[in-house]
Amino acid sequence: MPSPSADALQLSVELASGKHSLVLANPVMAASGTFSYGVEYAKVFDIQRLGAIVSKTTTLRPHAGSPPGRRIDETPAGMLNSIGLQNIGIDKLLRDLAPAWSRWRVPVVVSILGAAVDEYGACAARLEGVAGIAGLELNISSPNARRGGMEFGQDAATAAAVTASVVRACTLPVIVKLTPNVGDIAAIARAVVDAGADALCVVNTLQAMSIDARARRPNITRTFAGLSGPAIKPVALRMVWQVASAVSVPIIGCGGIVDGIDAVEFLLAGATAVQVGTATFRNPRAPLDVLEGIEAYMRAEGVADVRELVGAARA
Amino acid sequence: MNIGYATVVESERLYGETWITWFRAPELARGAYPGQFLMLRCSDDASYGCGSRAGARADDPLLPRPMSYHRLRDGAGGAEWCLLYDVVGRGTAWLAGRRPGDRVYAWGPLGRGYEVGHASHNLLLVAGGIGVAPLVWLADDAVSRGLNVTMVIGGRSAAQIFPSALLPKEVEVVVTTDDGSSGRAGFVTEPFGELLEWCDQAFACGPNAMFAAMAAVARKARVRRSVQVLLEERMGCGTGICYGCAVEVRLRGGRTMKLVCKDGPRFDVRDVW
Ligand SMILES: Cc1cc2nc3c(=O)[nH]c(=O)nc-3n(C[C@H](O)[C@H](O)[C@H](O)COP(=O)(O)OP(=O)(O)OC[C@H]3O[C@@H](n4cnc5c(N)ncnc54)[C@H](O)[C@@H]3O)c2cc1C
Ligand SMILES: Cc1cc2nc3c(=O)[nH]c(=O)nc-3n(C[C@H](O)[C@H](O)[C@H](O)COP(=O)(O)O)c2cc1C
Ligand code: FES
Repeated sequence: MPSPSADALQLSVELASGKHSLVLANPVMAASGTFSYGVEYAKVFDIQRLGAIVSKTTTLRPHAGSPPGRRIDETPAGMLNSIGLQNIGIDKLLRDLAPAWSRWRVPVVVSILGAAVDEYGACAARLEGVAGIAGLELNISSPNARRGGMEFGQDAATAAAVTASVVRACTLPVIVKLTPNVGDIAAIARAVVDAGADALCVVNTLQAMSIDARARRPNITRTFAGLSGPAIKPVALRMVWQVASAVSVPIIGCGGIVDGIDAVEFLLAGATAVQVGTATFRNPRAPLDVLEGIEAYMRAEGVADVRELVGAARA
Repeated sequence: MNIGYATVVESERLYGETWITWFRAPELARGAYPGQFLMLRCSDDASYGCGSRAGARADDPLLPRPMSYHRLRDGAGGAEWCLLYDVVGRGTAWLAGRRPGDRVYAWGPLGRGYEVGHASHNLLLVAGGIGVAPLVWLADDAVSRGLNVTMVIGGRSAAQIFPSALLPKEVEVVVTTDDGSSGRAGFVTEPFGELLEWCDQAFACGPNAMFAAMAAVARKARVRRSVQVLLEERMGCGTGICYGCAVEVRLRGGRTMKLVCKDGPRFDVRDVW
């Protein structure tokens, strides 16, 4: 079997083309909410080698997140979070972070969320034309938002309206991040693609909970929370497969990816790129390790171009 | 902050259910000071990311565990640091099972630790249970700089009390136990109240109920002293990324959310209670 050397590997993937193109040097992205704004780990390891970084979901105005109390819990091979979208707001993002991002090699995608459909468009308009912002990811999938988030992503018409409001408001590449907490994810995927989404991220956290048997009450102060980590990988994989059957835009697989083999499985199911979330808590370098794992797999299996893997399990 | 593998040098049960484990990984303690902490991955797995899955991969327990630096020393291969911990669950049981030569993936130093004011000469240290862990290093450090240290060490019973013989001899020690099996019967708040006037600054670590009681004592006292406490909260990342460890504190009249891992774990007791 041929054994391509590291620099002979073709790792680049395209998430959007045409007037708003988004080309990544490799398919590994840091997921929203598990890498903050990128600057924290920039000092710790070479984040410039990543395919892209997605920012913490940011809203028009700063948000304090969930009320005081317990926000996270650990579950078998997973975790629950109810952060409630605590974030710095778009003004601070534009002032303090975008200038730094504009000097980076790694593209930064800003994740946005609005409490009303039009607020997504308003966020997008503020981010249009700003140096350092390579694209947008629409969070219509967080189970922790009081308004907006998952409730918009559970209804095809609303999901499409949010997407359309952003596509109208800017020329940036638009990724829509879907929620797994729906009956028919393919229907939502088709609706947002018809409304102009360039790519889809599949998926956000599964709504879940845990209970303290001794104290006889839920562990998380707000009762429900989002489940992530290796525990959700099989569900995420199934949904990537279903969405890949329904639409032809690039899909970003997300959910429980910890190593290169996990990532390859998502590519084989039909994803063009992947996002690494919870694994970063266990290992801050996780996205980089995932990339190196994909490269090792390609070398071992004689795969020269990562795009050969996309959907290869579907034949 | 640095990331890497720390090698276990020695590990033993020191007293009661409390373990001490020494590590070699000088870069993980570089620039650290008392009150700071590390995150440790507490499960067996080969390094992640490799193309093959020849090594074991443990996704459980998934999250890393926060632990304070307990002490530093010079070892044969450079600086060594250690943890002092109670075995309370899967992560700490795994840690206690490590043997010399085993490696643990960790990152640190993290957070903001204790701040000793330049004008402070008399330091009052108040430890509740395993809260003694970070205070021992503070005591070591203060004594080496010629400061006066009084340490109040409290626990449920004698088995939970850190042995005074292991502290620098210059440290004045007051022991309290709930059941009176060692030292004075009662809580640390009593000697804390008596010694508050003597000290220039107080430093505490222990359960939240102890901090609340200390805040009440400090508020009633005739003198105003700064009381720094180390808070604990469930942590995801330990590095200010996940916003999982937020606590509400009072600052300049208003209430704001702060991150225990990044803005703390050291807070002024009056800002929280
Ligand atoms: C900044 C910081 C420094 C710490 N330093 C020390 C130390 O020096 N020595 C020490 O023994 N412990 C320390 N702790 C507490 C320690 O992190 C927990 O005891 C540990 O995570 C428990 O892990 P486990 O898997 O053994 O227990 P689990 O099975 O996870 O839980 C067992 C028990 O531990 C409690 N617990 C779990 N996680 C935490 C946490 N993050 N904070 C507080 N309680 C928790 C749970 O409520 C439960 O009662 C520190 C915590 C923080 C936040
Ligand atoms: C603590 C935490 C915070 C998160 N915050 C966000 C967020 O702000 N926006 C978002 O779109 N997804 C958020 N997510 C979801 C992740 O981006 C990801 O979709 C999900 O966790 C599944 O992937 P994983 O198993 O690799 O973590 C968050 C997840 C966690 C664990
Ligand atoms: S533990 Fe993640 S922000 Fe503090």
